[in-house]
Amino acid sequence: MIRSTAQVESVAPEPRIGVYVCRCGGNISDVIDTEKVAETIKLVPGVRVSKVHSFMCSEPGQAMIAEDIKKEQLNRVVVASCSPFLHELTFRVAVRRGGLNPYLYEHVNIREQGSWSHHGDPEGATVKAIRLLAAAVHRLYHAEPLEQIRLPSHRRALVIGGGIAGLKAAVDLAAKDVGVVLVEREPQLGGRLLGLASLFPNDESGRAQIDRLVGEVQNNRNIEVLTGTVIKSVSGFLGNYDIAVGPASAGGAADVEAGGAKEKKLSVGAIIVATGHDYYRPGSGEYGFKRYTQVVTMPEFIDLLAGASRDGIEFNGQRIRRIGFMHCVGSRQIEGIHQPQADGRVNDYCSRVCCTTVLHQALHAKRRFPYLAVFDFHQDIRTYGRLHEDYYRRASEAGVVFFRFHGDEPPLVEGGVDGYPVQVRLKDWLTWGEEIVVPLDLLVLAVGMVARDNRELVNLLKLPIGADRFFQEVHPKLRPVETSVNGILLAGTAQAPMTIEETLASASAAASKAACLLAHDSVELETFKARVDADKCIGCGLCFPECAYEGALVRTNVEREGKTVTLASVNPGLCVGCGACVPVCPTRAIDLQGWTLSQFEAMVDGLLSAPLPSQPATSESSSHGKAH
Amino acid sequence: MQNSQVQSAYFDVVVVGGGISGIQAALDLGDQDHKVLLVERSASIGGKMISLSKTFPTLDCSSCITTPKMSAAFHHPNIQVWTSTDVERVESSDGVRKVHLCRHPTYVDNSLCIGCRLCEYACPVEYPDPFEEGLGAQRAIAVPFTNALPQKAVLNPRYCIACGACIKACPTDAVQFDQREERLTVEAGAVVLTTGFALNSLELKREYNAARSANIISPLQLERLLVPHGPYGRVLRPSDGKVPGNVAFVLCAGSRDQSIGVLYCSRFCCMYSIKQAMLLSGALPTAELTIYYMDIRAFGKGHEQFYQNAKAMGIQFVKAKVASIEPVTGDDISLRVELEEEAGRVAERRHDLVVLAQGAIPVFEPAKALNTPAAEDGFLRQPDSVKITWTGVEGVFAAGCALGPKDIVDSIVEAGAAAMEASKFLAMRTAGRSPAQKPDRLANPVGT
Ligand SMILES: Cc1cc2nc3c(=O)[nH]c(=O)nc-3n(C[C@H](O)[C@H](O)[C@H](O)COP(=O)(O)OP(=O)(O)OC[C@H]3O[C@@H](n4cnc5c(N)ncnc54)[C@H](O)[C@@H]3O)c2cc1C
Ligand SMILES: Cc1cc2nc3c(=O)[nH]c(=O)nc-3n(C[C@H](O)[C@H](O)[C@H](O)COP(=O)(O)OP(=O)(O)OC[C@H]3O[C@@H](n4cnc5c(N)ncnc54)[C@H](O)[C@@H]3O)c2cc1C
Ligand code: SF4
Ligand code: SF4
Ligand code: SF4
Ligand code: SF4
Repeated sequence: MIRSTAQVESVAPEPRIGVYVCRCGGNISDVIDTEKVAETIKLVPGVRVSKVHSFMCSEPGQAMIAEDIKKEQLNRVVVASCSPFLHELTFRVAVRRGGLNPYLYEHVNIREQGSWSHHGDPEGATVKAIRLLAAAVHRLYHAEPLEQIRLPSHRRALVIGGGIAGLKAAVDLAAKDVGVVLVEREPQLGGRLLGLASLFPNDESGRAQIDRLVGEVQNNRNIEVLTGTVIKSVSGFLGNYDIAVGPASAGGAADVEAGGAKEKKLSVGAIIVATGHDYYRPGSGEYGFKRYTQVVTMPEFIDLLAGASRDGIEFNGQRIRRIGFMHCVGSRQIEGIHQPQADGRVNDYCSRVCCTTVLHQALHAKRRFPYLAVFDFHQDIRTYGRLHEDYYRRASEAGVVFFRFHGDEPPLVEGGVDGYPVQVRLKDWLTWGEEIVVPLDLLVLAVGMVARDNRELVNLLKLPIGADRFFQEVHPKLRPVETSVNGILLAGTAQAPMTIEETLASASAAASKAACLLAHDSVELETFKARVDADKCIGCGLCFPECAYEGALVRTNVEREGKTVTLASVNPGLCVGCGACVPVCPTRAIDLQGWTLSQFEAMVDGLLSAPLPSQPATSESSSHGKAH
Repeated sequence: MQNSQVQSAYFDVVVVGGGISGIQAALDLGDQDHKVLLVERSASIGGKMISLSKTFPTLDCSSCITTPKMSAAFHHPNIQVWTSTDVERVESSDGVRKVHLCRHPTYVDNSLCIGCRLCEYACPVEYPDPFEEGLGAQRAIAVPFTNALPQKAVLNPRYCIACGACIKACPTDAVQFDQREERLTVEAGAVVLTTGFALNSLELKREYNAARSANIISPLQLERLLVPHGPYGRVLRPSDGKVPGNVAFVLCAGSRDQSIGVLYCSRFCCMYSIKQAMLLSGALPTAELTIYYMDIRAFGKGHEQFYQNAKAMGIQFVKAKVASIEPVTGDDISLRVELEEEAGRVAERRHDLVVLAQGAIPVFEPAKALNTPAAEDGFLRQPDSVKITWTGVEGVFAAGCALGPKDIVDSIVEAGAAAMEASKFLAMRTAGRSPAQKPDRLANPVGT
């Protein structure tokens, strides 16, 4: 089933190399003398064309490459510009547009690793650019055309987590005829929303929203739901993941009752992680939590309000008349002011939903019980979303009293006097920092969101976690639902705090990415993988212990001179191209295609023999002028 | 352009608006094998994002991260891009969407133009460059900006003096003075509206007197000033070219304000103002930078940390209502502020450059262009709490700032979601229909 990379026919032996130096609209040329770089690099053997452009990534810049390839019969191309992370792919495509194999291209970073890091030393940066370019040119002497690896894939996805994010992703994919296995740890689907009785922005109950989606999931022939189930093992790669699932905790009778979850093996092409968030649990004594019974968390208050009779909110045998809401509990923490969390870090992020939640719940409470006196303690009111600002305006109109504190001087919660169980003492900055004491019957802590403790899953999926402990997306601006593992996507609050609307958008976006990846019956993989020259491999097995990626190296038996020998071969789906196996091989049988040892050697030669602006090209540099 | 064949064109999806939301939606749809038409009103795709300096909270160079997306959409085998084309109206009836388009004349034949800019160099007329927010100069015929896509010249008839210099200069005879506006209609299985936002007028708040000083600027102008290759190549204030030493940012200057009818929060202005102040403090290390705010809304991933960094860098955050702004001598500006943390004490503060965080308002008029009422805030409605990108009109979805202001990452997420809903809608609709009915592709008239 797994076909290794096809090497296409060899190119013309004599290198004809085009070098392009980008000014990046001044980002580079303000420091590096790009004209001089282009002029000097011409002295390196094999360089036929050497040009400077203001924006190589622009359409005219790219078109110039394609045109030169044809006109000058270039057979290799180098661009010196920004980080390859941004534009390597752009130029590979441009090179292909010119009719050349995209791997006969080399990218040199002279911005992040040049002009930006050496802006105080223009000359040094210019020399460095020349050296890096010379290295690239030398490496290209040994470049070979490569092709992307295509592997057949399963048109089926695994969705982990059956909260609103997981449900939505499953429904979306199923509608596109992608099979879905939805795995939920708890005995029932729904996640956090099951506990939220009334939601902004339309006062719907969490359960009503969940019921709509659960209805769609249950009547769907494309979706298999496994509740009370967790992931036990994961192996494979984009298009070909093998998953084992099993009951949520080590097989007690309770679990069987809970959902009758069984061990099971699945094959899927993509994985969507929709494992959601936890509420922040305040520490003992934090804003009086646990010290005073009358200090409760927001989810507890939502329950309390939902359960209140028409006569009013009763708590601990007392009728509640004065309620305070404390914002930012467990969020926007400052080092040195707040107690660090278990991992030694504070939660320095904003939880995004709690400001609007406070105002929405406060209004909801006031609507039911107009006599309530409501006090709000905040740093900023972050009602940013559609209709959210309305709650702020209406809360002010309804007589909610606002106090503002500074993050480095959080309010104190104390035992109350005159029959009030608690009071809040703070410096209020809506006046002039006056010290104010507010006696209360009940203080509600607007707890933020924290990442779930999902260590096992994190280890199984090998996903990176951000400093805020949420799953880390691969690019925070451009690729918010993708991870660094190709084929594993993020949906909902597993990635960061968000509202339901934002959770739904994120779930659909993740489903969309999965549908793109699984649109065809095969997937394309990056081509930089290890490869074994079977003729050179002596079967010593030294490479196996070096490889950290299970299944990347495979023992294959072949007949050699009448005997069966066990040689190494590579599964390109699992090889990550780290190269750890390469140096141990005594016969140089294993090499990383696209990054071979001989290419590295040539780069070192290039760095050392680079012609520098003041001096002419050394004769040494030409000795490597001929490709192997 | 001859467009008789276009009259009968059919696309799986027409995406209206080529900003980052439209580009992302088109890419997600194209990658799922749908045939997509991406229509953009201006001469290049990229929307607001292509003109920004850097993006919060990562401080990525904006044009560096936008161009690859633009290029990917532009060269995608399933996506056609029509620029200088306005969507005037979308009709949804009898199971099909009719998209009524108006193609503006560019006076250049895109199939001939090679983007060499010889016409631009030859043109004797200059006018305030719209891409540079009026700060730099542009020729009456020009390729709109360095990394515009497509790289085709466009002639601006308002400034052209019909001297014919461009016609003579053009090596391919692409300049055509006799082009006309054209109206045409294409059919679509589904429509995704990604028409984005506009900023409300700088002069909307009379007491801010923006009309009376060139040094009361819009944040988009500051974005251009902050770009390394921007109109002046560095940050100078417009009135006299002085390097500003004391800059004020006035937040909520066109939002959260009953007096101007914009009640909502524009959502990205706190963050871009902090970003701009940070970039300014890099460009002008000695400048004093003050942000006047009501609430700092740094709610997104990494945003609060970004805000705290800005505070640590010495940027002043002053909680205050700016009551009025007056130009004073020396081209400076005086702000009358109520300092909320000093019990509303009124103070006069002097600055030499003031940036007003204008409100973000809709550009698409649902009542006129889609025959459906707008939501209270003027943007498209989101009537379904589960299919959040659906506009309430059959087969018509929306994303990004067309559904209310939001930053780039939230726009990109929503664009993916709208693509998903549109793709699902098509899947449901075509279930049962034979694939032979799939219509043909057209030649791309912008000549990719
Ligand atoms: C107090 C509070 C009030 C709120 N009120 C509102 C509101 O009014 N309006 C609004 O828009 N938003 C509100 N929100 C936000 C809203 O709760 C979230 O946006 C939403 O719940 C996110 O859903 P999710 O699917 O991402 O996560 P979750 O609801 O947490 O679902 C995740 C699911 O994954 C499962 N899971 C976790 N780990 C595993 C595993 N390893 N294997 C299998 N399954 C697993 C969990 O059991 C759970 O069912 C509020 C948030 C808080 C904290
Ligand atoms: C000063 C400023 C700084 C900012 N900085 C940042 C930042 O640092 N980070 C960040 O995340 N966000 C930032 N933003 C926000 C960012 O600009 C938006 O998130 C983003 O541009 C939204 O993209 P969009 O595609 O939804 O809308 P737009 O960019 O507005 O694109 C909409 C497109 O649709 C076209 N169009 C409209 N109507 C029609 C029609 N009828 N027919 C055809 N085409 C049409 C328009 O011409 C436009 O090209 C900033 C915004 C401003 C104002
Ligand atoms: S949303 Fe409001 S309450 Fe929640 S962390 Fe942010 S600022 Fe604090
Ligand atoms: S390159 Fe790395 S992952 Fe691939 S086989 Fe060698 S050691 Fe394993
Ligand atoms: S119109 Fe002619 S001169 Fe102008 S850019 Fe196009 S090809 Fe060049
Ligand atoms: S984002 Fe900030 S500046 Fe913009 S309207 Fe909202 S609160 Fe005001």
